[in-house]
Amino acid sequence: MLGYTIRRVLGVIPVVFLTSAIVFGLMHLLPGDPVQLLIGQSQTEVSAATIASLRHQYMLDRPIWLQYFAWARHMLAGDLGASLQTHQAVWEMIRPRILPTAQIGFTAWLLALVIAMPLGAITARHPGSLGDWIGTIGALSGAAMPYFLVGGVLIYVVALRLGWLPPSGYVPPDQGFGASIRSTIMPAVTLSLSLGAVIARQTRASFSEVLQFPFIRSARAKGLSEIRIMTHHAFKNAMLPVVTVLGVQLATMFSGAVVTETIFAVPGIGRLLVDAILSRDYPVVQAVVLFISIIVVVANLLVDLLYGLLDPRIRQA
Amino acid sequence: MSGNIAPDVAVSYEARAPFGRLGAAAGRLLRNRLALVGTVISVLIVVLVLIAPLVTPYGPNAIDYRAMLRGPSAAHLLGTDDLGRDVFTRTLYGGRLSLAVSLGSIVLAVGAGVPLGLLTGYLGGATDEILMRLIDSVMALPPLVLALTITAVLGPGLVNAMLAIGIVALPGIARLVRGQVLSLRHNDYVLAARSVGVRPSLIVLRHVLPNVLDPVLVQATLGIGFAIITESSVSFIGLGAQPPTATWGSMVQVGFQYLDSAPWLAMAPAVMIFLAVLGFNMMGEGLRGALDPAARSTA
Repeated sequence: MLGYTIRRVLGVIPVVFLTSAIVFGLMHLLPGDPVQLLIGQSQTEVSAATIASLRHQYMLDRPIWLQYFAWARHMLAGDLGASLQTHQAVWEMIRPRILPTAQIGFTAWLLALVIAMPLGAITARHPGSLGDWIGTIGALSGAAMPYFLVGGVLIYVVALRLGWLPPSGYVPPDQGFGASIRSTIMPAVTLSLSLGAVIARQTRASFSEVLQFPFIRSARAKGLSEIRIMTHHAFKNAMLPVVTVLGVQLATMFSGAVVTETIFAVPGIGRLLVDAILSRDYPVVQAVVLFISIIVVVANLLVDLLYGLLDPRIRQA
Repeated sequence: MSGNIAPDVAVSYEARAPFGRLGAAAGRLLRNRLALVGTVISVLIVVLVLIAPLVTPYGPNAIDYRAMLRGPSAAHLLGTDDLGRDVFTRTLYGGRLSLAVSLGSIVLAVGAGVPLGLLTGYLGGATDEILMRLIDSVMALPPLVLALTITAVLGPGLVNAMLAIGIVALPGIARLVRGQVLSLRHNDYVLAARSVGVRPSLIVLRHVLPNVLDPVLVQATLGIGFAIITESSVSFIGLGAQPPTATWGSMVQVGFQYLDSAPWLAMAPAVMIFLAVLGFNMMGEGLRGALDPAARSTA
């Protein structure tokens, strides 16, 4: 397992390097001069000398690869740069946004798991039944449901008509745990739907395959109850592909966070990215995208390690 | 459902199919109930948005200040918006743009992704290794985050949104094709062609390409659903269609400002997005079952 872990961790390095190069390249190779953008923020006339000095200050007069390494060195040292708009350190902008995104994301993940996994397992147990059909159509619909449809219906019905929950905003746990949970429910439900749909479909496919294996037939022949077969024999084997999906879906959850946090006015990472994009605050965009991609890469690494732990064949491959 | 056809029945059915393999696949697609429903939904939506001028008397940008924020009625099936424009009409015309952008981005992704996948898969070696690591790295970025970032750098607008979504969808197609090529390049017919001295480019075009098209078609159909959702999200954020041009996403964005007083404004295009994505996804899943023998046997 140690060799497998080392191989996996080392394998992440080129991916992080290339991802950071892509994020950096996006901002520098596509049309648009960063200095022009910088100047665009100020209302005063700027002389050619100032432009030249700015280009030198930001190393824009140097080769692109030198610019990248200078930028990467700052990133590795924890210096994510400063906002063009507020001149605040980018990390100071990201830090308070982590909790709302994590809280909503974790709640959504939990909701999706608790509802979708049993649903997937039950529909796999009775293929072709009415429940299987309803489950399949439900999963397909969940995957096709745009966040703003779910979010819009929830805000209109639950918040505006019934008044059960606040229509938008976020309350941190230290300002009242109950209020914090109430402010999390609707964004989390919105985010959980498509995630749940994917988990339900993967669980169903996975259980369907495992339930065909001879050891399940043997367990039935021994007279074990169906519940025991599902929980003790099929579960662990069926969970492997589901675990992979959970890792892959983290990237999708960040996509969802961008829209969900916009709908519900949650001050999270997604909303920070949208605000930075709309105000063309490129250092913030760059840092937030890099931050998100590193979290996704690390989460996938953890999933890989977990996979190796669950399945000895993987770590010996 | 197609998955329940016994192998011998399926073989005889294929043998009788008048249009060969594609005809048989179309037959299987239409015998799969989910796929049939998906195809019907998709075709209905496409036809409806194409014949928009025939089904609605209003123009998409025709303003009527005497009829602002009216609820659904006989005159305005889905009500009117904040400028008195007919929501049903705008939903249809907006759908034209949403679908065109989504389709365009997938054509772009397939147009660039298939040659890239063929090249890396067939050449192998360092080119393949570098390009695949690059593709893995792009795929580590959340799709919408990447699409938004590219659109932001290129500048807001539908064409740029289309380019961005195409770039985001491209690595998936390239990786799929590359995987197919790797599994095909050691097949007997490819080895035979190589042994008699057929040029590599000709082998790829004549012997490999036709065999990777089926999975690409499936991926592209599912990709349309992804592109519709992504385009609508980009427009919802405000980087896609710019006023007065309407797409489903930009209509939802405006509609959210009137969610309390006029919920139909946001809900009409949102439901259309849902139906279109559902339709294309169901069609894609059906196609997968119809074209892929492995998927058929496990369906």
